Amino acid sequence: MAEITFRNVTKRYGDTLAVDDTSFTVADNEFFCLFGPPLSGKTTILRLILGLEVPDEGDILIDGRSVTRIGPAARNIAMVFQNLALFPHMTAEQNIRFPLAERRMAEAQIRARLADAAGKLHIGHILHKFPAQLSGGERQRVAIARALVRDPVAYLMDDPISALDARLREEARVELKRMQREAGRTLIYVTHDQEEAMSVADRMAILEHGRIRQVGAPVALYDGPASAYVAGLLGSPAINLLPPGLLPGARGDAVQVGVRPEDVTVTPGEGAVVTGVEPLGGYTVLTIEAEGQTLRAMLRGQPAYAPGQNVAIGADPGRMHFFGPGGDRLAG
Amino acid sequence: MSVTDTPPAPPPTAASVPADAVRLGHWLTLPAQILILFIAVFPILMQLYISLTDWSPLSGRPWPRAWELWNGFANYADLMSDRRLWSAVGRTALVMIVCVPVQFFLGLGLAMLFVDDFRGKRLFYSILIMPMMVVPAVAGYMFFMLFQSGGPINDIFGTLIGRPVVIAWLSDPTLALVAVMIADIWQWTPLMFLILLAGLVGVPDDQMKAATLLGANAWQRFRTIALPRMKTIIIIALAIRVIENFKIFDTLYIMTSGGPGVATETISVYIYKVTTQDLIWGYVAAIALVILIVLSVVAVLAMRRMAR
Amino acid sequence: MSAIRLEHLVKRFGSFTALKEMDLTIGDGEFLALLGPSGCGKSTTMNMIAGMEAPSEGRILFGDRDMVGVPMGRRGVGFVFQNYAIFTHMTVRRNLDYGLRMTGRPAVEVRQRAEAMAALLNLTPLLERPAAGLSVNILQRIAIGRSAVMEPAIFLLDEPLSNVDAAFRAVMRTELKALQRQFGQTMVYVTHDQLEAMTMADRIAVMDHGVLQQVGTPLEVYNAPANTFVARFIGSPGMNLLPGRLAETDRGLAVDLGELGISPPLPDALAAAAHGAGRPEVTYGFRPEEVHLVETGPALRLPLILAERIGARTILHLGRAEDAVRAVFQGNPVLPEGVLAIAPDPASLRLFDAVTGAAIRGG
Repeated sequence: MAEITFRNVTKRYGDTLAVDDTSFTVADNEFFCLFGPPLSGKTTILRLILGLEVPDEGDILIDGRSVTRIGPAARNIAMVFQNLALFPHMTAEQNIRFPLAERRMAEAQIRARLADAAGKLHIGHILHKFPAQLSGGERQRVAIARALVRDPVAYLMDDPISALDARLREEARVELKRMQREAGRTLIYVTHDQEEAMSVADRMAILEHGRIRQVGAPVALYDGPASAYVAGLLGSPAINLLPPGLLPGARGDAVQVGVRPEDVTVTPGEGAVVTGVEPLGGYTVLTIEAEGQTLRAMLRGQPAYAPGQNVAIGADPGRMHFFGPGGDRLAG
Repeated sequence: MSVTDTPPAPPPTAASVPADAVRLGHWLTLPAQILILFIAVFPILMQLYISLTDWSPLSGRPWPRAWELWNGFANYADLMSDRRLWSAVGRTALVMIVCVPVQFFLGLGLAMLFVDDFRGKRLFYSILIMPMMVVPAVAGYMFFMLFQSGGPINDIFGTLIGRPVVIAWLSDPTLALVAVMIADIWQWTPLMFLILLAGLVGVPDDQMKAATLLGANAWQRFRTIALPRMKTIIIIALAIRVIENFKIFDTLYIMTSGGPGVATETISVYIYKVTTQDLIWGYVAAIALVILIVLSVVAVLAMRRMAR
Repeated sequence: MSAIRLEHLVKRFGSFTALKEMDLTIGDGEFLALLGPSGCGKSTTMNMIAGMEAPSEGRILFGDRDMVGVPMGRRGVGFVFQNYAIFTHMTVRRNLDYGLRMTGRPAVEVRQRAEAMAALLNLTPLLERPAAGLSVNILQRIAIGRSAVMEPAIFLLDEPLSNVDAAFRAVMRTELKALQRQFGQTMVYVTHDQLEAMTMADRIAVMDHGVLQQVGTPLEVYNAPANTFVARFIGSPGMNLLPGRLAETDRGLAVDLGELGISPPLPDALAAAAHGAGRPEVTYGFRPEEVHLVETGPALRLPLILAERIGARTILHLGRAEDAVRAVFQGNPVLPEGVLAIAPDPASLRLFDAVTGAAIRGG
C-alpha cells in the first residue's frame, strides 16, 4: 500500500531549480511514468522520493504521512537500477535472498518471501542459474524480485531498459507491464522514450524545467495535450505544429494548429509536394512541403508516392489541436 | 557512454547538507586532524626554532632550551655565503637536469613499445621494472663494483677495443659524476616507464583510431592526441623525479661518499656530512628548511599546472 | 569509383567465427544499412571495411582496388564511432579541421573548409568552444563533420544514434539522410534498430550469427522476408510466427495451428507453393498490422493480455507470453473484453519451412 504525494516540492542545486513547486499524487498500485527531456527533473524527483535528497521547500507524503524528514532506509522504497546491479557471482536465488539475509531475517520467512516473489514473477525455474546464464528479460525479473522481497511500499526504476537493443526494448517493456500487473505495488518509472512511456504507464507526468506540465493517462495526453509542448513530446513522428491558415477548418483565434501525422489526409491534387517517402512496411511516412511549411503524414500500408509528386493535404478539424499564444491549448 | 538525464548526484552543497551534519563531520575528523598536526606541523616548527639558534647535541642542553643559544638569522646569513652549499645545490641541479630528461625520454620510448602486445612482453616487463625494486644501498654497492678501475665496465670496454682499459671512474671528478648519473638513470627510468605506460594505456583507443582514419601519422597521433591527454601524468612523473633527484643520496653516497673531494657532493650528502661530522644542527636545520621551502614551491607550481 | 565489394569475407577470432563467407556489393553513392542484433557480425564487417581489422579470408574492393593490406589511414574512409571519439582536449574547430591539418593542407583552405562544414552543421557559434562538455547531440554532429570535411568517398557509421535520446534520434535520422544525399558518398550504416534502417537506407543487409540473411530494399525485406529471422527482425513489432502443419480442409489447404485451431484457407498461390515444398511442418506468418477482427467464420481466437496504446497505434498482445500473437490497430480503438477473434489478411500470409526457416514463396 503506497500512495505517494508531492506537495509544492522545490529542490535547488545552487542556482538551478531542479524541481520547481511541483505537486502530484501517485495512486496505490499505479504504474506512474515521469517523462521529459534531459534535465527536466525526472531523476531529481526519483532521488527525492527515495530520500537521497531533501526538498528545499514543500512536503513529500507516503500514504498521507510526511516523510520529508525521514531517511532513505526508513522509507522502504526499492530502486531498480539501470544496469540492474545483480551480483554476478551469486545465483538468482542468492541474489534475491541477499537483502533479506542482510537483515538477518529468519530462514522460514526468507523462504516464504522468496517463494512468493518467484511465483509472482514466474522465475521458479531459473532460481539456480547465475545472471550470466539468464536472458535480459529474466535478469530483469530477478532484479525486480530482489526489490520485491524486501516488501517495499513502492519501487522506482530509472530508465531500466534503455541499454537494450531496439528489438529487446519493445519486448522488455511489455514484460515490465505484465510484471507490474501481476506483482502489484506502486511503480514509478523514468524514461526518455515517449513510446515506452505510453506503452507502460497507467498515468504519466510530463516535465519541463522541473515543472509538471500535465498529468494523465497516456492516451488522454496524446489526444488532449494541454500545450504545444506536451503535444510535441508525444508521438512519433512528432505532431505537426502549423500556422492556422495552412489547413482548412482551423480556428481563427489559434496561433498554432497541431495535427498528428496520422490525421493528415493526402489525396491526389495540388497545393503541396512530397519531398520524402519513408516506407516502413505497415505504414508510410511522407514528408510534405506546403506553403513553405514542412509537415509529415503517416499513411497506412504502402501507398505509392514518390518525391516530387504534387498532392493535396487536409485534416479533419475534429482531430486538430488548437494552441493559443504561449502554446497553451485553447478552451472549447 | 549512456546518455539519459541521469546526472550523478550533484555534489552536496552547503545548502543541501544540514549545518549539524557539517559540525558532526568536523568532530569525526578531529583525531585525524590532530594526528596530521603532529606529523607535519610539529617537526617543521621545531626545525624553525632550532634553525634560529646555535644549538648542537654537544651543547649540553636539551633541545627545548636551545633558545639560550639564540642567534637570530645568523644561520641563514651564513647559508647565503656558504660556497660549498651552493656548489652542492648547483651539482644537484646538474644531476637533475641531465637525469630527469634522460629518464623521461627513455621511459617514454619504452612505454610506447609496451603499448602493443608482443611475444615475451610480460618477461621483458618484469626485467625492466626490476632496477626500481633493488634496495638503493645494494644498487650503490653494485655500481661501486662495476665502476672499479679493474671492474666489469672497464673489462667490457677493453674487450670491445681489444686492449686493456683503465678508466678511474670513481676517482676522476667528472667521471664520478657521470657514473653517479648512470646509476640514477638505471635505477629510476623504470618508474618513469611505469607511470608513462599507465598514461599511454589510458589514451582512448577510439580517438587514436579516429585520428588514424583522418590521416594522421604515428608521430602526429602521438603529438596531437596522446601527449595532450597524458599532460597530467607527465607532470606528475616529472614532479616525482625532480623532487626525488633533489634529494639524491643513498646510492650515490655508497658509490662515492660525495667524492672525490666534493666532486659528487649533492645537497643531501652535504647536509649529511654537516650533521654527522660537524654537528652544527642549528645550521643544518636552516638548510633543511630552505630546501623544504624550495621543494614546496616546485610542488605547488606543478600541482597548479595540473589543476588547469 | 567508390563501390564496395566484399568477396567471401570471413573473420575468425580464435575458434570463434564472427563472420561467415560474406558476399556483398554496395553501389557507388548507395546508403546501405547493416542491420542485426548485437553479436551478429555487423560491426566486424564494418571494421574490416575501415581497415581496423584484417579479414581472415576473402577480399575487400573499393571500385577495382583490393584494399586488404592497405592501412586504415590510407583507405580514405570517413568513420563515425558509436561514442564519437571526439578529441575532447581540443576546440570544436580543432576537431573539425583535424584531418585537414594533419594532411598538410594550406592554412587558408583548412580554415575555409572547416568553417563551411561548421556552417552546414550549425556549429559555427560553437567553433571556439572546447569540445569537452558539449551535449551528445552536438558531439555527434562534430563527429560527422570531422569526417565529412575530408570528403571521403566512403562513409562508415557505427550505430551513431544509439546514444542519443529518442526524440533527437528521429530528427537525426532525417538529417543524416539529407546529409548523405548532399554529399553523395557511399554510406554504410551499422544499426540494431530496424526503424533506422527502414527510414534511411536504400538497401538493408540483415545479418545474424555472422551470416548475411538477406539484402534488399526496405520494402523487399519487409514484404518478402527470406526467412523467419528476417521476418521477425523487420517490423515493429515483427511478424507473428506460429508453428503449424499443413492441413486439407473442405475449403482448401490451410494450416493446423494446434491449440489455436485451423487457420483460414491459404491463398491459391501460397497453397501451391506449400504443396511443392514437400514438408507438412510449416511456420505460419503474418504481419501484426495486417489482421482484422472478425465476428464469425475462421479466425484465431486468443485472449487479450495487454494493449499498448501508444498514440497513433495500439499494439495488442494476445495469448501466452512465450508465443504471443501481436496485432496492431490504428489509433485508439475500443476493444471487446476477453477473447478476440482475429483473421490475418490473406495477402499478408507468409509460410516458412519449419526446419530451415526459409520462406516458402508463392507465385
